[in-house]
Amino acid sequence: MSSSSFYEGRAAIVGIGEYCIGQDPMATIGLGSCVALILYEPRRAMGSMAHVMLPDSHGRLDRPGKYADTAVPLLLEGMLGKGCRMQNLVAKLVGGASMFAQFSGNLNIGDRNTRTLRSLLDDAGIQVVAELTGGNVGRSVVFFPREGGRVTVKRADGTCCDL
Amino acid sequence: MQLTEVQLDAIRELGNIGAAHAATTLSQMLMCQINMSVPEVRVVDIGQIYDYIGDEYSAMVVFQLQGEIEPGGYIVLLVSRESALRLTNTMLGMSDTDREFGEMDQSALLEIGNIMISAFLDGTAMLLGIVMLPSPPEMAIDMAHAGMESLLATMDADIDEVILFRTELMDEEHMVNSDILFLPDTRTLIDILRLLENVVGPM
Repeated sequence: MSSSSFYEGRAAIVGIGEYCIGQDPMATIGLGSCVALILYEPRRAMGSMAHVMLPDSHGRLDRPGKYADTAVPLLLEGMLGKGCRMQNLVAKLVGGASMFAQFSGNLNIGDRNTRTLRSLLDDAGIQVVAELTGGNVGRSVVFFPREGGRVTVKRADGTCCDL
Repeated sequence: MQLTEVQLDAIRELGNIGAAHAATTLSQMLMCQINMSVPEVRVVDIGQIYDYIGDEYSAMVVFQLQGEIEPGGYIVLLVSRESALRLTNTMLGMSDTDREFGEMDQSALLEIGNIMISAFLDGTAMLLGIVMLPSPPEMAIDMAHAGMESLLATMDADIDEVILFRTELMDEEHMVNSDILFLPDTRTLIDILRLLENVVGPM
């Protein structure tokens, strides 16, 4: 099956567990229970995105973008390293859906990903200025740091909205 | 987990047999010829899955693997939304493809998935000497990648790579394409490799 034209050629794709920091467009396709953690610094038009799969790394350090508890410090350090200032940073969250309730039992991973990220961002003093999470639908995301931090979210049926 | 070429070949052969059984049942249901692609077996890093499974609008019928193994891992019938509509149209004697994927379509596709995946697992049983059964199915009509990553997040170990086994079944008369994805979790995979070794010798 072919990839979508939603992001093609326009953005760097951030796969599961990966991350990206910079000013150029970045995208995550087909978020289910994973969450796109997006940090944005308006003054420098700088942004970052991590494709978070699980809430807790249990001490694993080899894929920091994969877990909520390692992704938050990872993106923070990366942004500060590019000269961003802590007090200017804002966050946006997309994803965290629950698509197969029967197979996830009591652990709603999407919801836990979202809640963990929110609480870690809160601890770091970073405000979540926009969020499109939960429900049972998949989402693709493109983030444009140079265009005021615009985040476009697309659903499977093609409907889009901006955050 | 590292797999040797021989192990990958053994899994490909296992899938080949399963997919051939699934293709036969699909062919009987649709009363037409089904072509089957050579199965692809790849070890894919989770960060690169989008190269193989994108955000196209798809119908996914998902089963957990059960039976004479510890429950774990999944087997999925993946059909693009357009193909799914053409498939259920063929089953239900309709022709309109410009419509919602309704309840009738969902139950028809669940049934097709049940029959095909049961046949797939039946086929593998002959080779493995154990019976794997599908759990009751769950369906999503959504982005394929979103479904896959949601399943991967629930799998046993904290995985960085998946064995992506994929066969395409094509009904050219009705323009229906479907994929069967076999996603055993690590423990199931080890069991399967051990059973295959009994058949083909040390790998």
